[in-house]
Amino acid sequence: MRAVDRFSGIIIPVVLALFILIPYGFAAAAGTAKEGLTGLAALHSAAESVYCAKGLTPVGIIVMIETGLLFIAVLLASRLDAIGAALRENGWYLLAVMALVALPFIIGWRTESSVCVRGKAFFWEAIFVDVFTVAILAISYNLMFGFAGVVSFGHAAFFGTGAYGVGLLMHHLGWPWWLGIMATLFAGALIALVKGVVGLRIRGLYFALFTLAFAQVFYLLAGNRLMANITGAEDGFTFDVPDWLNITKNRLFLYYLALLALVLAFWLVRRLMGSPTGRVLSALRDNEARAQMLGYNTFYFKLIAIVLAGVMATGAGVMRGLALKGASPEVLSLTYTFDPLLMTLVGGQATFAGPIVGAFGLHLVEDFVRDAAVTVGGVQINIGERWALILGVIFIVIVLAFPYGIVGTWQIKRLNTHEGWRRLFGKKLGIPPG
Amino acid sequence: MNTSAPQLRTGFFRQSLLVSGLFVLGLVVVNFVFFKPGTVAVVLLSGLYQGMLFFLVAAGMSIVFGLLDVLNLAQGSFFMLGAYSGFAIYGALPEGTPVEVRFVAALAGATLFGGAVGAAVEVGLLRPLYARPVFQIVLTFGLGTAVNELVRALYGPAGLVPIQKPAALNTTFSVLGGQFEMYRAFIITVGFALMVSISLLLQRTRLGIVIRAGVQDSEMVQALGINIRRIFTLVFMLGTAVAALGGMTAAPFLGAYPAMGGEFLITAVIVIVIGGMSSYEGTAIASVLVGLTRATAEQISLQYLNTPIMASVSILIFMVVVLLVRPTGLFGRE
Repeated sequence: MRAVDRFSGIIIPVVLALFILIPYGFAAAAGTAKEGLTGLAALHSAAESVYCAKGLTPVGIIVMIETGLLFIAVLLASRLDAIGAALRENGWYLLAVMALVALPFIIGWRTESSVCVRGKAFFWEAIFVDVFTVAILAISYNLMFGFAGVVSFGHAAFFGTGAYGVGLLMHHLGWPWWLGIMATLFAGALIALVKGVVGLRIRGLYFALFTLAFAQVFYLLAGNRLMANITGAEDGFTFDVPDWLNITKNRLFLYYLALLALVLAFWLVRRLMGSPTGRVLSALRDNEARAQMLGYNTFYFKLIAIVLAGVMATGAGVMRGLALKGASPEVLSLTYTFDPLLMTLVGGQATFAGPIVGAFGLHLVEDFVRDAAVTVGGVQINIGERWALILGVIFIVIVLAFPYGIVGTWQIKRLNTHEGWRRLFGKKLGIPPG
Repeated sequence: MNTSAPQLRTGFFRQSLLVSGLFVLGLVVVNFVFFKPGTVAVVLLSGLYQGMLFFLVAAGMSIVFGLLDVLNLAQGSFFMLGAYSGFAIYGALPEGTPVEVRFVAALAGATLFGGAVGAAVEVGLLRPLYARPVFQIVLTFGLGTAVNELVRALYGPAGLVPIQKPAALNTTFSVLGGQFEMYRAFIITVGFALMVSISLLLQRTRLGIVIRAGVQDSEMVQALGINIRRIFTLVFMLGTAVAALGGMTAAPFLGAYPAMGGEFLITAVIVIVIGGMSSYEGTAIASVLVGLTRATAEQISLQYLNTPIMASVSILIFMVVVLLVRPTGLFGRE
């Protein structure tokens, strides 16, 4: 297994990089650059002239072919040797990433719009940047709540710190973007550390409510008139970002950047939970007293989970701040505590893909029903306006009917059916146990 | 060991009581330092008035948490439902009914309605979840959201205008030169009456003994042949009925609007955390402490910062400080 790990650790990034470099290189070679540009700028301009065309572009075709090839490879994974082993473990995730890479081009093709200028594809890119952001937030919440069992109602504090931090540092202090982002992440880690060190001696529900109070203080202070000169009070404030990070000018790039961040967050949590530290986290969630008896200082392990989750949530907040080019008290509100909680539960707590599935599902459903309306008995009901009501009902139904969430239930059911098939036909067909 | 336990408890209780008393004394002194006597009286009374409203929401939450281990985050919505159902009853009575009759009918109707909905929620939604604690919080939170939105959809987001108060309560009286509305004094009276009667119910009746025993160890109570499930339903119903009564009591003063539940919920959560989650006495005392702190901080920040910001921030800080000194709240035990 170790060999496979090492192999997939190299092969997957290489394959993905190739998959993205091939269409880009093709576009750069085939296109014509704007005049007066040299070097990389000319190359990029040439590539843009190809992939920014409306409808089906050669780049789109290549990316879709690649996705199709990957799909076939995943289906055939059991028949391949070295690559097959890596694909069996990560193939479906890889395919999902590749599909998301191809997505803007597919939308552009189906709606005859360009991926670079105002239009359908452009519109959906922005929505997906948002989806990726909340997915990272949900992943970070799941790390703390699902895997380590630390219930917190104050996750919005980190999300808001991210959006406000990067904005305030860049806007008021004029820091460059990289310094602003690093300092904000550091601030997020520091807040998490303080919260953990101070709060973790408080147990269970008391801790959850302590974090709620903690986050509410942030919310109240950021939105207050006293801070009007700094945070813009209730209206929030806007700030300038460099052109290459500007979502109105360079949206496709920001889309891929957000996707990359999501992949990194997912990979980080998977690596963490596969490591000895991760095992201890699961152990203390299941039985803290026993983990302590085994000699682990559970305080430090909980602290690790809280700080890591805090930094990831801050990172999601930074992404939100950069994408909106501004921040308002909304990013600190209870919404961003309970949304990731709901997404984690809908997707399946303590599963890797669960929070992502939950975030995609809820966010996209919300986007689809935003303008939908139904007429019941002559009364027109605008579903989008009643989204909070729908959310509340989803909360209730999920809790009552799907306690393990979508991914969790699927895993259990799949294991059950697998076990059933094995008992029935195992000997004849040679189905392995597991 | 066995003999020392009750003594320990009383000692602990007395100590917390002393701390709370000193805290109130400190707040009064702070008031006199900062304000004129007339303002002090109004601030203290409005602190009491706020405290009583918080108590009406928090009392049910605290007992329910103690007995059922459910943190009922829908309690704020029952508060709001009380106000709305009371208004509906008030308006539905035939023309010519005196205001006093309407008012009392609205209070009684809201209480009954809150209790009935609460019982339905406990039986229908919470029963399947007693084995999964975190899920109950999520469920009640979702329920609260859904109810708030339903009311918003049915009655509109703006809320209803406050109903007419009975003439006797629609006056003001003066204390130490400051003017105070009679209706707020009425709220204080209602809150205090409920505080005492719930306490009597818990301390002096057979049902109270069962509830208190259930808070200690509900399995043991069941083993003694008491149908604890029925007690659960009853207690949950009582809690929501008290919240609904609180909502209707507050409504002639505050009006009825969809967000009112959420506003009171967060403070009520803070109150029960400060009081020590499952301790009824703790909740009662903490609600007064929180009300007074809030009113004092509000007045100070209005006077010096020209914004009521410290009202909300002060109680959050209060809660954090209490938790850091006593991780299980003022009167809570592990």
